[in-house]
Amino acid sequence: MPKVYNWQIGREMEYLYADARPKKQFAMVMDTNKCIACQTCTVACKTTWTSGRGQEYMFWNNVETKPYGFYPLGWDVKVLDKLGVQPIDGAIYKGKTIFEAAPEGERVLGYLPDDLDYAHPNLSEDDSVGSMTQGAFMQLPHMQWMHYLPRICNHCTYPACVGACPRQSAYKRPEDGIVLIDQMRCRGYRECVRGCPYKKPFFNSITRVSEKCIGCYPAVEDGRQTQCTVTCIGKIRLQGFITTPQQAREDNPLDYIIHIAKIARPLYPQLGLEPNVYYIPPVHVPPPYLKQLFGADVEAAVNGYRKAMDDKKLLGALLLFGATSDITHHFKVTDRFAIAYNEKGDELVRVPFKEPIYLRPAFDEAYQTVRSNIT
Amino acid sequence: MKGIMKLLYCAALSAGLAGCAGTTDTAAPATGAEEKPAVSSSQAAHYAAMMAKPAPAPEGGVTANRIPGAAPMLDPFAKEWDQAKPVSVTMTPQVVATPTNPKPAIADLSVRSLHNGQWLGVLIEWKDASKSDRLVPDRFGDQVAVEIPVAYRADTPPNPMMGAPGEPVNIIQWRAAFQADLDRKREITVRDLYPNAASDLYPDQVLKTQDVRSYTGAAGVDNPVAKHRDSPVLDQVAEGFGTLTTKPHQEADGRGVWKDGKWRVVITTPMSAVAANAPRLNPGENTVVSFAVWEGSSQEVGARKAWSDWVPLKLAK
Repeated sequence: MPKVYNWQIGREMEYLYADARPKKQFAMVMDTNKCIACQTCTVACKTTWTSGRGQEYMFWNNVETKPYGFYPLGWDVKVLDKLGVQPIDGAIYKGKTIFEAAPEGERVLGYLPDDLDYAHPNLSEDDSVGSMTQGAFMQLPHMQWMHYLPRICNHCTYPACVGACPRQSAYKRPEDGIVLIDQMRCRGYRECVRGCPYKKPFFNSITRVSEKCIGCYPAVEDGRQTQCTVTCIGKIRLQGFITTPQQAREDNPLDYIIHIAKIARPLYPQLGLEPNVYYIPPVHVPPPYLKQLFGADVEAAVNGYRKAMDDKKLLGALLLFGATSDITHHFKVTDRFAIAYNEKGDELVRVPFKEPIYLRPAFDEAYQTVRSNIT
Repeated sequence: MKGIMKLLYCAALSAGLAGCAGTTDTAAPATGAEEKPAVSSSQAAHYAAMMAKPAPAPEGGVTANRIPGAAPMLDPFAKEWDQAKPVSVTMTPQVVATPTNPKPAIADLSVRSLHNGQWLGVLIEWKDASKSDRLVPDRFGDQVAVEIPVAYRADTPPNPMMGAPGEPVNIIQWRAAFQADLDRKREITVRDLYPNAASDLYPDQVLKTQDVRSYTGAAGVDNPVAKHRDSPVLDQVAEGFGTLTTKPHQEADGRGVWKDGKWRVVITTPMSAVAANAPRLNPGENTVVSFAVWEGSSQEVGARKAWSDWVPLKLAK
């Protein structure tokens, strides 16, 4: 198998195809600390893309409660169990990826979910770890923990769906790195469903071929962010493009957050796909669990996020979440504003670091009445 | 919002499906690029190593006796089949291309053949305790395929494993799921797969025909496996692994019946096809055929199959 370089695991690894990074790479940052699992993203995606026949069970975007929520049931623990215990400490991952651990005669290490695994998309919603003992009372931080994990296709640099398909029906676009399944070429073998550890390709039982999150490519081609991003009421997402750590640009908000401030981490980097959705880890979750989810550097990411107030540029990048529906290619920070620009350099939005506050008199002279809201 | 999600999910919990209100949906783009790289060098090397050991072809091969008539043979129970001698074809596990199928469920097929000067008919029978024709995310369908070289030369037959670049083969594949569609006499619905499924409006119920095409996934781009067919077989051409392509003009046909724990499938193809990439079969001449079979309940699909080496086929005068 060809060798490719995966910067997330700090080493070369085996992959089905030679290295061919796209001109631009679709990426997203999600701040899990701000997600409230309202599922607005899920519904926005559902109504935009999967309202057709055979797509009833599909959620290209879903939000699950971790550690006990899964869609499909047990997707990550099943893959981790198959992979076995791997050493994940250190900057260089010394364990096996799902490509390196592929059994004889298989292209990747994977499994095909049962039909009923998809039937409980919101199972364990809000369930937390640990139980309340007799006499327990409200404390901060809470004694129990859980967190929300919003998920779309990771549009991986080394996609397992692309590697698993025996007839190259799944492919990665050279122009923006979006991973698609060719709806004309696919024959419904479901090798992508079996191979993708994140379980984001889905089999459509009516058209009898597989489908997946398309990264809202019609919007992205037009310079706009995905539906799940622009509809997010908590403004937890920022979608744009990412470069490699060596080529990181300080004025690209995704590069700044991921490569320079290093506060966002990929999901299960040890699986070896170099996923391109990055998560700002939940700060209240115990580090051992976070390490399994987001890799060895996760504590540094949590600490960096806690100190975001000290880094004005980082704060500026974080202010751009949910500030514009267009894709920010460049950003600039001034004394008062974080300013976003599109690819051509046109200003998209300027977000004040401090929202101006206007105080109105408590008594309205014109209407001779008392105001209940004066700010 | 959670209340809405719960509403959506109530159907999912009861029927394995969620019915959801929606406005839009579309398919991933079709690149239209049907021809893509075939056999990698490592596959070719592996293939060369494995070719030493396919199961031997039955001695004497298959003889297609001539019967009167000019119509395609579509009845697997027609009494004419008594005039053809069944030959047992031993199947070989597909372990050359990944993913492999080292332990296939079907060990052998019983094959017989007839022709009427216009159409060649091949009757394939095999034991299969479970009829698999319901395709849902974790279920696969029973399938069988007949492969015929497009241009047969006795001294250099093409690669029996789906041909090779410059050596195209005609692969005619029958699928139990297509047969179920035809037996049902209408397009499949979600209720056929999940009898208790509930859903509200689909885009095709509220939009005009010309607007709905992009909301129907692979069916909207006329993927041959996605649209309702008037035949249970796919008439295809291949030039190596990963190149299987459905021909624009479908000429082959067939019919399969599952009865008493056994599939009986007839595949028929015109002897002088009009379309490109079809073999020209003349009475009195010889060619070769090979077979592939998939047992759905063993999750056999695509490369996870059992295959046979070339079996000599004599076409009686």
